[in-house]
Amino acid sequence: MTAALRFRGVTKSYGRRRALDGLDWTVPAGTVFGLVGSNGAGKTTAMAVAVGLLRADGGEIDLLGEGPFRAEKHAGRVTLLPQDAGFPPHARVEELLRFYSRLQGAGEDSVEGLLDWVHLTDRRRSAVRTLSHGMRRRLAIAQAFLGAPQLVLLDEPLNGLDPREAARVRELIRQRRGRQTIVISSHILSDIEALCDEVAFIERGRCVRQDSIERLTHRAQRVTYRLRGAAPLSALQAILPDVQWSVKGDELTATFGEPLTTEELNRRALPVFLAAGVGILEIKRGSDLEGEYLRAAQEAIGTAQGAPSETR
Amino acid sequence: MNVPWVTLRIVAWNELADSVRSRRVLVIVLLYLACALWGTKLFVDTLRVLEGELAQTLGLAEPKKAGGVTASLWQSESFRRTLKKLLGDEELVTHLLGAPPLALFYGWLALTFTPLLVMLTASTRIAEEVASGSARFVMFRTTRSLWCLGKFAGQALQIFGALLISAAGTWVLGLIHMQTFEPLAAMLHMLGYACKAWLYALPFLGVALAVSQWMSSPNLAVVVGLMVMFVMSLVRWIGRFAEGSDTAALWQTVALLTPSAYRHHLWWNDLSRLAPAVLLLGILTTAYLLAGHTRFGRRDL
Repeated sequence: MTAALRFRGVTKSYGRRRALDGLDWTVPAGTVFGLVGSNGAGKTTAMAVAVGLLRADGGEIDLLGEGPFRAEKHAGRVTLLPQDAGFPPHARVEELLRFYSRLQGAGEDSVEGLLDWVHLTDRRRSAVRTLSHGMRRRLAIAQAFLGAPQLVLLDEPLNGLDPREAARVRELIRQRRGRQTIVISSHILSDIEALCDEVAFIERGRCVRQDSIERLTHRAQRVTYRLRGAAPLSALQAILPDVQWSVKGDELTATFGEPLTTEELNRRALPVFLAAGVGILEIKRGSDLEGEYLRAAQEAIGTAQGAPSETR
Repeated sequence: MNVPWVTLRIVAWNELADSVRSRRVLVIVLLYLACALWGTKLFVDTLRVLEGELAQTLGLAEPKKAGGVTASLWQSESFRRTLKKLLGDEELVTHLLGAPPLALFYGWLALTFTPLLVMLTASTRIAEEVASGSARFVMFRTTRSLWCLGKFAGQALQIFGALLISAAGTWVLGLIHMQTFEPLAAMLHMLGYACKAWLYALPFLGVALAVSQWMSSPNLAVVVGLMVMFVMSLVRWIGRFAEGSDTAALWQTVALLTPSAYRHHLWWNDLSRLAPAVLLLGILTTAYLLAGHTRFGRRDL
């Protein structure tokens, strides 16, 4: 699989503070990629370095297979939603989008659609300074999708959005899956889990783990049942001897390997629950991303020697 | 990516539009126009008083409007001889006396105050975009150098507009208040001086944008820009006062790196004097901009 973005040993320091400490990170082309890490882990720095806003101190960056960012090559093909950037206060919404679009050589065809999509059509002639925080955020998201960028980097895209708008943005990202490579940095792990194909955990400027959501959460090998009543363990072990069963509170987790599939497991296990008169409150595939992240982050912090302090 | 000239045009146009939208820039331009008009009015009034006194001394009828006696005075040989002695450049005096007095005043006003206008309006332009973070929405869409050049072009157009507006205002005042006022000749001369003042302002614009490229605070950029301007004036003054001393050559060489060293040449109309000055002003403009870009091209945004 080709990479839309690849970091190899990238370092970046702010004075004596190290924000990226030999970051290795690869974003496969065409995926929706999640970037997860604690505050100051280096996510924002990594994105800014990727598009040339910040200069890396060392390491290699490969963008769309054409080396590090150069506006001559990448303008209009790579876009960014910066985290804390403000727009020129006097600029008007539509004019600003048209300006950005023209500047990246994309024409202005996508402006109307994006204004509609971020619900700013009725504010198209408003000055940016008159918009609410959420509206500005939506405008910032719209500018990242102008034209047809191959790689879109979204730094905390859902921050400051009301639930309705957040759902709308999630839907947009889903619609773009496979057409564009989208990298999302977020603290909301449920969003990452719901939207992304692959995820990287970044801590203290390093990638501590990168894998597909499927593998990270063991979706193909783990099913958890939340039950009302005692789990019929002996009956389950009798009909599914190769499955490892574990009980924690009202949750029963089955861990299994090939050739058993989730569907086959359910087909055989559910009648056992029903026969034993046990109520099934919830069935969940895999473990949650939060648990995996916390485990990886804890390991990284535990093993870090002389790790950098908090940065942006 | 667009071809460079298209990007330049897009950024320059946006810069102009933003200047119009931004009340601060509009206020400064209007203030400049008001100062030009006030200065012109003051000039016309002073001229009328002086002419009145002169007419009384000579036993002539006191003029109702300014300019009547001045035109005669301008053409008198004795006045020319006096000026030649004062300025020490006979050719320049002859050359200047061919122009309408109000146009000369406008030329002086424009050459003197446009650099200040430039420093006040332009030195914030890049620094404020860096400070607010709005530059981050742009820098992955075009190169930093083209963006800065586009800003330069937009600001240059804005200055030219301000000069034309102030020339028009001065011209209208002259038409109303001057007794002998040749509208066409005055207009042509004022246009000429507006163009020259614009050329003279470009290196100051280069300084303003260079400072703006170095700074992250717009207010600090204005202060530093004004300080650089002050230092430039100081160098020129020291160069003059050091004449005849051991360090004169050094100061005069340093003064050549400032735009004011070429201001004198802009009063001329013949190309043999004007062209080298314009060329050197262009080189200075480029050098100042590049000095700013050595940092901006590499800095973190």
